[in-house]
Amino acid sequence: MKLIIILVFYSLLLCSPVAHSRMFMNDKMMIMNANPDKLPSDCPKISEEVNLTIRAGHKHALKFTGKMFAFDQQEWNVKPCAKINITFINDDQIRHQIMVHGLPGYLYPDGMVHLELYGEGQLQASFIVPSKKKTYLVHCELPQHAEKGMKAQLKVDGGDGDLPSIPGISAAVNADSYTVDWTFNTWAALVMCIVLGFALPLVLIMNAASLKAIATKLWITLKTRWKIKNQ
Amino acid sequence: MPKKYIILLILILIAALTTAVIFLVPSAVETAGIDAPATVYGHGEETSSVEKPCSNEHPEWRAAQVIEGVNIEASSLCEPDNPFDVAVAVKGTNNVSMATLMQTHFAQDALTMSDDVDGDGDPDVIRIKLEVVELNGATPDDKLPINTFDIAPGIQPALWVFAPKSSGMALKNFNSRVANPLLRAPSPVIRVEQGDKVYITLENTHYLPHTIHLHGVDHPWMNSEGMDNDGMEEHAVFPGKQHTYEIQPRHTGTMLYHCHVQTAQHLGMGMAGMFIIEENRPNNWVQTFNIGAGQVRHPTAAVKEKFSQEYDLHYQSVDKSLAKIVQEANDPRLIAERMTRQHNLTESHENYFMLNGHSFPYTLRDGSVIADENETIKLHVANLQKSAMALHPHGHKVTALAYDGVDAPVGLSVTRDVFDIAPAQRVDLELQTKNDGLHSYGAGAWMFHDHVPTGATTDGIEPGGNIGLIIYKSLVDEQGMPKGHLEMLDQVFSKDYYAKKVAVWGGNKEFAPLLGDAGLLRPNYLRIILFGLVAGLIIGLLLVVSRLLKRKSL
Repeated sequence: MKLIIILVFYSLLLCSPVAHSRMFMNDKMMIMNANPDKLPSDCPKISEEVNLTIRAGHKHALKFTGKMFAFDQQEWNVKPCAKINITFINDDQIRHQIMVHGLPGYLYPDGMVHLELYGEGQLQASFIVPSKKKTYLVHCELPQHAEKGMKAQLKVDGGDGDLPSIPGISAAVNADSYTVDWTFNTWAALVMCIVLGFALPLVLIMNAASLKAIATKLWITLKTRWKIKNQ
Repeated sequence: MPKKYIILLILILIAALTTAVIFLVPSAVETAGIDAPATVYGHGEETSSVEKPCSNEHPEWRAAQVIEGVNIEASSLCEPDNPFDVAVAVKGTNNVSMATLMQTHFAQDALTMSDDVDGDGDPDVIRIKLEVVELNGATPDDKLPINTFDIAPGIQPALWVFAPKSSGMALKNFNSRVANPLLRAPSPVIRVEQGDKVYITLENTHYLPHTIHLHGVDHPWMNSEGMDNDGMEEHAVFPGKQHTYEIQPRHTGTMLYHCHVQTAQHLGMGMAGMFIIEENRPNNWVQTFNIGAGQVRHPTAAVKEKFSQEYDLHYQSVDKSLAKIVQEANDPRLIAERMTRQHNLTESHENYFMLNGHSFPYTLRDGSVIADENETIKLHVANLQKSAMALHPHGHKVTALAYDGVDAPVGLSVTRDVFDIAPAQRVDLELQTKNDGLHSYGAGAWMFHDHVPTGATTDGIEPGGNIGLIIYKSLVDEQGMPKGHLEMLDQVFSKDYYAKKVAVWGGNKEFAPLLGDAGLLRPNYLRIILFGLVAGLIIGLLLVVSRLLKRKSL
């Protein structure tokens, strides 16, 4: 495994000058558009180096309800022009990906960094974000993986808002509907409140005279106290 | 005049007006007078819903070619199989160059072929990895389906398929919602050689449990690790997990593989494919995957001895109410409950009928059998529908070679023009195009379809369903479409047609005015106005009466 990671690093170093050839692939993984050294045009230098370990698998979805796959974290914050070193660990026995979308096309063809593990295992790859204040989509693009929870966001300089349907962070645009647990007690509470609501004005009208007396008394007391205070 | 007389008079007036109003009630449906409403020509003028019959995306894929030393036969179809897919399916992902692999969507470990155990020049240890893909599934981000696969114009039922393990983007490109071409219905045809040691690994990439049951394929009940090898429900492979099934089939023939978890539903969603065991011959590199079924572009040595061409015909059907469940929720718990307990399969219907993943007219793009005269063609037919089918080729009588993978004895090798095929049954057929008045009636663009009437419809719209064509080469244009049928093609390659918005004979110049849609009746405004006025007057008069009565009582 270690050997493979070292090979990945070497291949990245070797391939770095030409953006579209930044691809590494074997029978365990695929890395596309990693960029450990090329600065975005708006970045004079790398501001910080961030080491992220991102795990993927169905067990990480256990902390959310109604999901099947997830990453172990759903949001990362970095400074503008940060270099991000990702260690991607797949805890499942199937394929998972980390795709980061919306990056500048001149450094990242199709605007994305694409890391993929064909099964259990891990890989490492780096990329550098531009200075712009922006929220980047991070997801696994396998059919129904992001849809069922494997979706996260990377915020540069605080980001420009939250993306929809990130587990634990934001609601879905096309949200599911669930049945409300209407029982006898729920109906009883509703009926009682209707009766109370109906009775309230009647009680008030019937006792209008005494209520008025109480209110007047209260008003006078308050007024005199206020006057005393001010004197 | 005394008040009571006035009241009486008004009441009499109200009674009279009420009688009148009953005759004036306007209705939603009326009989026409002398002239029936004019004919409406539907959506004939709009072109947005009409598609090109053939997009002709990869004309270079049609020619016979050699890739990685693999002979790939010509395919005249509009959408021929990707020859690089064929080359990889024959050689294995481990025996081709990276450049070839990059022309496909196969993962580098999707198909490993090694160890020529019997020393006859071909690999005998085959490792196949399959994933589970949901097509036309839901997304929490909007209401449209994702990883789309249209079975007919505008028809996108959710489907589950086994797919060879792939890598990279599941979408066609990052601006698209369309699934990449490796991810499609039907589940791919899998071919292996008799006696090969085959390891089939199910990597469950889906959010519900699944298995692979090797129906009719010679397989031990347990694998070498003493684990389940029959793919039964109690040994389901859960999401994110994998399991390897091991076989060394001794018997040849056309068999099946399918998911055996909640079988009725999962099979109906598309988790079934053909599994064909070919005769062992020297130097026999078998095309392991036939993506999308249809023509086999690299037939085996044994097939080539007797046949000029080979086709796999996979019939399946979809219950739209079942398929819809996964498009209407994202929470796997909701989907599981609705599919397994709320949906009642015994009260459901088949709405879509597909041949090789498509319904007519899309079957014309990749499901046609294109033949010359005097050919002998092998057809592997599998019925993976819920209901029985009655396969009927126009213009031909075909001969049964094998039933359920067992060669038909001489007495059962019947020649007929309707083959009844029960669910899960397979029949291997010989199609002869010799114009002798029995096997063939000569050149044509002959239909072949399920003669159970529903099978030729798409949600009740005809022509649709599993209609395919046997087209003779003299009648095929350079894009693999039948010549001289432009008017018909323009009509059916239309989303509106399958959305039930187009009059079936509205395209016929002579008969469109006679058989186009009858328009709507003009509203009878005079009647509506009179009715309104009188009804209003009655209400007004009733109020007057009530006031008069009140005053009187005071």
